[in-house]
Amino acid sequence: MTSHLLEGIRAIELCEVWAGPTAGSLLGDLGADVVKVESFPRNSMTRPLAAPVPGPGEGPPWERSHIHHLANRNKRNVALNIRSDAGVDVFRRLLATGDIFFEGYSAGTVDRMGFDWETVHAINPRLIYVSLPGWGAKGPYEGYVTLGSGLDAAGGHTIVRGYPERPIEDTSPIYHSDATGALALVFAVITALHRREQTGKGVYIDISQIEVLNWHLPAQVAEWAMNGRLPERLGNRDPLIVPHGCFRAGGGEAGDDSWVVVAAETDQQWSGLARAMGHPEWAVRGHPWATVPGRLAARDEVHSAVRSFVASDTAEQVAVLVQRHGAIAAPVVAPWSLLADPQHLHRGWMQTVDHPYVGTQMFPGFPWQVSPDAPSWDRPAALVGEHNGEIFRALGYSDDDLARLQADGVIGDRYGA
Amino acid sequence: MTDAPRLPRPLIGRRIVEVGGTVPAAAAAKLFSDYGADVVKVEPLGGASMRRLPPFPGDVPSLESGAFHVALDTGKRSLVLDVETASGREALDRLCAQADLVLLHVAPALAVDIRAGVRATAAPPALVVLTEHGLDGPAADYAENDMSLFAWSGRMRQHAIAGEEPLRYAPQVAQMQWAATASAAGAAALWARANGEPAREIEVSAVEALAGNVDTWFVAWQFQGAETPRASGQSKLAYPAGCYRCADGYVVFAAAGQPFFNRLCEGIGHPELATDPRFADPAQKPLHFDDFFAVLDPWLRTRTKHDIFITLQGFGVMVSPVLDASEVAGDAQAVARHSFVDREVPGAGKTTIAGPPFRMTDAWEAGPPPRVGEHTDEVLRALGYSTTQRLALFRAGVTG
Repeated sequence: MTSHLLEGIRAIELCEVWAGPTAGSLLGDLGADVVKVESFPRNSMTRPLAAPVPGPGEGPPWERSHIHHLANRNKRNVALNIRSDAGVDVFRRLLATGDIFFEGYSAGTVDRMGFDWETVHAINPRLIYVSLPGWGAKGPYEGYVTLGSGLDAAGGHTIVRGYPERPIEDTSPIYHSDATGALALVFAVITALHRREQTGKGVYIDISQIEVLNWHLPAQVAEWAMNGRLPERLGNRDPLIVPHGCFRAGGGEAGDDSWVVVAAETDQQWSGLARAMGHPEWAVRGHPWATVPGRLAARDEVHSAVRSFVASDTAEQVAVLVQRHGAIAAPVVAPWSLLADPQHLHRGWMQTVDHPYVGTQMFPGFPWQVSPDAPSWDRPAALVGEHNGEIFRALGYSDDDLARLQADGVIGDRYGA
Repeated sequence: MTDAPRLPRPLIGRRIVEVGGTVPAAAAAKLFSDYGADVVKVEPLGGASMRRLPPFPGDVPSLESGAFHVALDTGKRSLVLDVETASGREALDRLCAQADLVLLHVAPALAVDIRAGVRATAAPPALVVLTEHGLDGPAADYAENDMSLFAWSGRMRQHAIAGEEPLRYAPQVAQMQWAATASAAGAAALWARANGEPAREIEVSAVEALAGNVDTWFVAWQFQGAETPRASGQSKLAYPAGCYRCADGYVVFAAAGQPFFNRLCEGIGHPELATDPRFADPAQKPLHFDDFFAVLDPWLRTRTKHDIFITLQGFGVMVSPVLDASEVAGDAQAVARHSFVDREVPGAGKTTIAGPPFRMTDAWEAGPPPRVGEHTDEVLRALGYSTTQRLALFRAGVTG
């Protein structure tokens, strides 16, 4: 049973890749009727046309990419060429039925297609319109293009998250901003629903994904503003906490590439960790490591002791032992161990999903649990144009109209035909 | 153009209670506060733990000047209350009974206890309980921090070069995503309650929030039958992608398909490379990284990151400068949009905090952060506590 928190709200999505589509799924999880307007006839970046296809099963490559599956649950899908005259008419009718419209293209792109805020507001005065470009809808960088990598870099995150001892070129190519952009969009549109209750009118929202990232990094800019210092690239070190790090574990499924993070933020946690390591005396008053300043002064020695201890067992065993003694520890979870994680199994968190082309797969559960109406994965990633018929018929198009639109390439259900 | 009267902020009149004093609780409540809700921050005696996080102006620790407090407690009221005493719990129950939404981050057993009090009120508020692993299960009581939550989520392993130590993100970033998840879910619950629906109870487990959004690597592993390669950032296969050195630092490229590569070739004055079979043929391209680098590198080395950014974005290339904290707030787009705002820190000069995460007319305002217990007396008075009762609660160490 999908949650009903946003029941009765229709959201129209015009987005690709991660942040926007993820937001669409989150709105769907909350009970909104989300209609994804799929890029057509150009395939979106996450719907590859040809091999190599990173997905199981048989069938069209564009239906089997894991990225597409992850960011497109709980939506319906129409494939519509909104750059065609006939497509414009269809899209206008669709917009007239929505409560929320959100687009994730570079600033100005959708305006140039003829769907700027003023035009759309005239079509549907109660519609909430969200633009989600990387640098925001307005400003000197209007029209600039980016993915998460560019936001992470220009937001000041890339420069602080890599290995302290290695060149910046080696910083891992994964990014935080897609998650934050999606969540901000959900909060924003619900805030706008409250505003609509006050005014009776729709509202325009400009989300700059880099501004969303900014508020997730309060310490970075403050370090400069307060003290004129640049934040260090710390790796897993914490300047004020010892121990605080990531240590190689003694094997397990990941073999040599198996790691545990360990930290003791307080004397109490240190006492627990010392007991877990078999050296309770390290936390007894009088021992040089028993105090916060003592441990700070002996960072290398303490970390060396932790390193030896961690190497004695598997990551999972070490973490459980340390946790039982009240200190912080976690295995650096690998994909296969996430699926077998006792906590996730206990909570039934993982979702088993059937899809016509990729078959039965396990997907991550939801980022929130709702009671009494729990979210559910009611719709796997929809096929291209899967809901053309039901959605366009509801807009007043006859079967003959749809056949003609399909023959003219205005709507479709496959790429490259 | 006439000046329209200023609209009330969209969440005006909504009452939110934040309990726990942690970064995720404070960050989750911040958005409600900045967009107009009345947020009461319930802090333990001695103040919220998130007030202790650095940096501090001049490196002088203070509960009133830490970067996280200044940035995340904007516009809230502070009530200092020991919710583990019977008297404190009664006050909390009264506060929650008048609220629309409660954001709660305390140990699971206490959370369950407080939840019972919330449920018992005549018109229960919506409730969002933040937990590290969930209220139940074998890991429910584990002690965690930002780094360990990232490790549990399955995302830290991918933030590494294979065989080397996996890394966390910048400090507290993982917790901020957890918080943003809680605020999104809380907003939905607030909306439903405002529409007369029964109040929802929502749990936001940090590990589930981090593992159930983007970068869910086990799905890639499952679909591909192998782990996603964990190479260094500079891809030699689909290039250019990752960080590249230039005259004054670095820029980052996103390899987003051949059209973007072709635009880059044009942008650096070598359009012929776009049709060169070494780079145009997908089968050959991975073999010729060095050849392309030999052309790109000197072009980059003689230009600043800003010039590269402006020039190549003019050709539609996905490139960004790699900025540090001194450059982020002064970047042209940030300046033009007022993406950051200066903030006085009482007795400690100025700092800078992020502006609105989304723009809507007359919607966002970041009020000053409260001193520890600044509003204890006014909140208790509004809850109906008499002068004598307020004195007695203070005398008994329940309030502060």
